[in-house]
Amino acid sequence: MYQSKWRIFTNHTILVLGALFMILPVWIAFASSTHTREYIFQHGLQFWPGGEFFSNYGAILFDAEATKGRVTALEMLFNSMVLGLGFAIGKVIISMMAAYAIVYFRFKLAVPLFWIIFSTLLLPLEVRIVPSYEVVASLGLLNSYTGLILPLIASATGTFFFRQFYRSVPDELLEAARLDGAGALRFFIDILVPLSVTMIAAIFIIMFVVGWNQYLWPLLMTTDDQLYTIVIGIKQVYNSLYEGGQIPQFPKAFALTIMASIPPVLVVVIFQRMFVKGLVETEK
Amino acid sequence: MATVTLNKAEKTYPNGYKAIHGIDLKIDDGEFTVLVGPSGCGKSTLLRMIAGLEGISDGEISIDDKVVNKVAPADRDIAMVFQNYALYPHMNNYDNMAYGLKNRGHSKAEIDAKVREAARILQLEDYLERKPRQLSGGQRQRVAMGRAIVRQPKVFLFDEPLSNLDAKLRVDMRLEIKNLQQRLGITSVYVTHDQVEAMTLADRLIVMNGGVAEQIGSPIDVYERPASQFVAGFIGSPAMNFLKGKASDDKKHVTVGDGVELELDHDVEGGRDVTVGIRPEHLQMHSDGHGRIDAGVRMVESLGAETLAYLDFGANADNVTLRLQGTHQFTQGQKLNLSVPAEKIHLFDVESGKRI
Repeated sequence: MYQSKWRIFTNHTILVLGALFMILPVWIAFASSTHTREYIFQHGLQFWPGGEFFSNYGAILFDAEATKGRVTALEMLFNSMVLGLGFAIGKVIISMMAAYAIVYFRFKLAVPLFWIIFSTLLLPLEVRIVPSYEVVASLGLLNSYTGLILPLIASATGTFFFRQFYRSVPDELLEAARLDGAGALRFFIDILVPLSVTMIAAIFIIMFVVGWNQYLWPLLMTTDDQLYTIVIGIKQVYNSLYEGGQIPQFPKAFALTIMASIPPVLVVVIFQRMFVKGLVETEK
Repeated sequence: MATVTLNKAEKTYPNGYKAIHGIDLKIDDGEFTVLVGPSGCGKSTLLRMIAGLEGISDGEISIDDKVVNKVAPADRDIAMVFQNYALYPHMNNYDNMAYGLKNRGHSKAEIDAKVREAARILQLEDYLERKPRQLSGGQRQRVAMGRAIVRQPKVFLFDEPLSNLDAKLRVDMRLEIKNLQQRLGITSVYVTHDQVEAMTLADRLIVMNGGVAEQIGSPIDVYERPASQFVAGFIGSPAMNFLKGKASDDKKHVTVGDGVELELDHDVEGGRDVTVGIRPEHLQMHSDGHGRIDAGVRMVESLGAETLAYLDFGANADNVTLRLQGTHQFTQGQKLNLSVPAEKIHLFDVESGKRI
């Protein structure tokens, strides 16, 4: 399509302005995280970086005292990573298997079961959080990674996406595999999983970010500081603001926020590339 | 090396639709059998029943005298080539061919030998490392055939394998399949809706219609003595002309169009209404006026090697196809004088369509 220079110029101007507008809060948070707390307290949010980058970030990462808890940001990042990965991988595996059963096995309840699963999409975690807590508590899983991840890994969204994908896989492929002597499990592992790589990448990206950003559930589940995720850690640092007597830890809170947002961004950047590559490759 | 026997095989779907109405058939060892018919006639269903991809509602299917009704597709020792190739897109061509052998627990060395042998036969040696999507349609179909032959099955099943290819490639692949089948001598069942494929490939032709085998016989037999009007119309291109006719009182003639009397080679009940079938290639043109038919040219199609003319010779006979060798110049409305040899006239019952 022909585009005039003027038009390209305006398009780009709008895009650049939009991008700057979106990135501005992040930049201010970053710039403000590199000053001393006294400076921020006196002068408010900063637009230009200061000279405290290493001391602020170093303290947060390695000194539990700086986060006002008993864990360092590094440990919290690790906890978040476990939650994010466990959440995303668990969801991908569970929903792939559920969708496989629904699409490929002829049993009478397949359709009603699918709609029951699908209807749980309407029920967010918050609605069932009290019973879920009750179940996890009575299983003795409070303050454990298992308790943190397991109740969340059933995924109606994932099941739905995989179901739609499997239904688009030609039946002839299944028939060819049957003639080639592949049983149900073989077909799943040898044929279906490799074919769904792009779907897996897409679901993984989305679910990792959702898992990483979980707030309410980890807050309820974990009373032990050792299991705090970084999202809860941010809250923890802010909590100390109200405890009086000290100058608030604004720069460290900002630093923690910046660090909390880096892993999801990395995951999206890395997997996005794979995702797009996969899409291009399967194009016929 | 195997025979396939169908004994009153029936297929009824859970919704009550009866796709196959009891078919009896014995396919000899090494025979190339073609199932042909219009879409929805049940030919693919029948093939899939032999493969085990569809269940059998009633009757029996045996491979080598062993009833396989309840045997899983993988254990029937058959191989199938699908219309859309059904190659595994994420595996390279080598793995596509090797997959069935791997699942059957063959050793690596054995698999390698068999795959390379199949690739040699099919001239795919240079393509083994590539993925199916990097190949042309014809090459993909060859990989699919390779996947079938590496297993050295008892029976080959082909489900319209050439219908996704372009016309020229289809002719080449047709010859290749025939050649391959003869060389390997493996019993084959081939489904197609293309009557040229059916005629050229088949040792034996099964013309299906509405879940019933209308006629089973050699291609030439089916062409020369079609058992019903349906078979007559389906086999042969351009299709046979059908005219309304009435047998004369002397039982030796039939009247079509505006009182055109055609001589028959066998007696028919006098005064009976019949459908008269004449193949376009069996109408002969005369320059000396000896023919019994006088027809006007409505339209002409010149194909180079042959010429098709559409003729009108009276009521119910106003669109009769004539096929002549070579090129001919006709003008619209030109009168032609034609005849049909008595033995080339087919008569069918008006009601049942059965051959008389």
